[in-house]
Amino acid sequence: MSDPVLDIRELTLGFRGYTGYTEVLHGISLSIQAGQRVALVGESGSGKSVTARIVLGLLQETRTARIKGELSFMGQDLNTLSKKQWRGLRGTQMSMIFQDPTSALNPVFTIANQFIEVLRRVDPELSRDAALQRAGLLLESVSIGDPGRVLNAYPFQMSGGMNQRIVIAMALANSPSLLIADEPGTALDVTVQAQTLELMRGMVADKNTAVLFISHNLGVVREFADQVSVIYRGRIVEQGATATVFGNPGHPYTRALMAAVPRITGGGIPDIPDNSDTFLQPAVIHDASEGAAT
Amino acid sequence: MRRTLIILLRNPLSLLGLLLVVMVVVLALFADWIAPFPEHRGAVVDFVYFNKPPSARNIMGTDLVGRDLFSRIIYAYRISLLLGVVVLAIAVPIGVVVGLFAGYLGGKVEFVLMRLTDVFLSIPPLVLAIAMMGVLEPTLLNAMLAVTAMWWPWYARLVYNVARSEREEGYVLAAEVIGASKWHISFREILPNCLPAVITKMTLDMGFVIIIASSLSFLGLGVQPPTPDLGSMVAEGARYLPDSWWLTVFPGLAILLAVFGFNLVGDALREIFGAEQ
Repeated sequence: MSDPVLDIRELTLGFRGYTGYTEVLHGISLSIQAGQRVALVGESGSGKSVTARIVLGLLQETRTARIKGELSFMGQDLNTLSKKQWRGLRGTQMSMIFQDPTSALNPVFTIANQFIEVLRRVDPELSRDAALQRAGLLLESVSIGDPGRVLNAYPFQMSGGMNQRIVIAMALANSPSLLIADEPGTALDVTVQAQTLELMRGMVADKNTAVLFISHNLGVVREFADQVSVIYRGRIVEQGATATVFGNPGHPYTRALMAAVPRITGGGIPDIPDNSDTFLQPAVIHDASEGAAT
Repeated sequence: MRRTLIILLRNPLSLLGLLLVVMVVVLALFADWIAPFPEHRGAVVDFVYFNKPPSARNIMGTDLVGRDLFSRIIYAYRISLLLGVVVLAIAVPIGVVVGLFAGYLGGKVEFVLMRLTDVFLSIPPLVLAIAMMGVLEPTLLNAMLAVTAMWWPWYARLVYNVARSEREEGYVLAAEVIGASKWHISFREILPNCLPAVITKMTLDMGFVIIIASSLSFLGLGVQPPTPDLGSMVAEGARYLPDSWWLTVFPGLAILLAVFGFNLVGDALREIFGAEQ
């Protein structure tokens, strides 16, 4: 098997504050192959987004952050890269989609100008006309029927769903090897979110892009991901193929998380105690072949 | 841009402001053609007509050596506007760059730049300018330098505050994620979002710069005679109040109208940009 696109081993993160050192991630391991869609699920504050920021090299610039662990991307060790080399990877080899698409676009520029900047990340000599033409094609691929009008508009003139599609098109414009989607479209309503995720799935499948999908929405994860890692309080407590994890959740936290998904038939939201003994149970790793069979 | 102009023209107050500003600018630009006695801007003496009240020949009267006050006020506008433009042209870029870096980069850069700004802000502005003029020779250029030195920290503060809040916006993070440089993010992403606030403040400040410059020359520290300046004209005439009232009233009125005009336009711009955000 070739090198995984992203391989994280024993990643720990802590912050030095006035009150001393607080560890946030206690050793996370995660691996994504090309074309694979891996979901990282967990509740707010469990360490999902910081993991994404470490991979992008953004958190490393925070002076109070202490980060340890192996990070390798397409076979190269990210920790040995200079800041500049790491920045070179962003926007070309790895890209990211955010929660709120509208705020991710600068309100003072038209979509066209922002798209051109994205495309010029890879090809600085690209002419305006050529860039606009490519942008138009990319927008069509995310089912925007009238790219000309969209390109001349400002982000605040469009709906959230429209902006989300634009952001997806931009994130995939340079055919990155890795796409990090941090709760994409959580700020949008459910139907629009489902539509855009469907689009995103089609596009990453075409380009064989690896996706790290961060979410707390289990319904969406079940639809979208092939692999699931459940993260709880900075530890990965369960890992495996989506079907297996959903079909046979091993860790009490995973069961609590699934039971927390609101159902029409009702029943309360079960709780896992704050200082749960079961929390110290070892991580459940499902056999990779198990899920593939189903 | 066009929409802003239309809104300005619709509101009676901002329309008045715009008219005043245009009037002052036209007078200053075309002084050579508008002034009835262009040669009176310099050291001219005409004792036949000295210290005369307003008349058909001199609509604002004449000064103590017989020069036409109206002509001198028009030329004084030239100096005032020039001073305002030059001061802002130097102070604004300095303040914007300082504020932008401090606001976006944070950390040590922020600490050094903003404390330096605070030092300048802690000295009363006019005192700083007077002190500088006391040390330097009282010329137009030095007056510009003195006013600039007291002006840039306000822009640093303003842009710093806007940049601080813009830094937290999603598009800045998105730009970092696609690998944009700090330089690019500061100047191409954040700066355009600060411009409405800066432009508004610049318009308001034109009036204030004119006042400060006039105050300096009123105290004899600014532009020196025989170059006409509104502040020194008021100072000169103040000794002959109330008999020769025209010597003070007309230059004073000239200051008032210019400042009033710029303030009205500035206030209107603040409303327009404020409503948009």
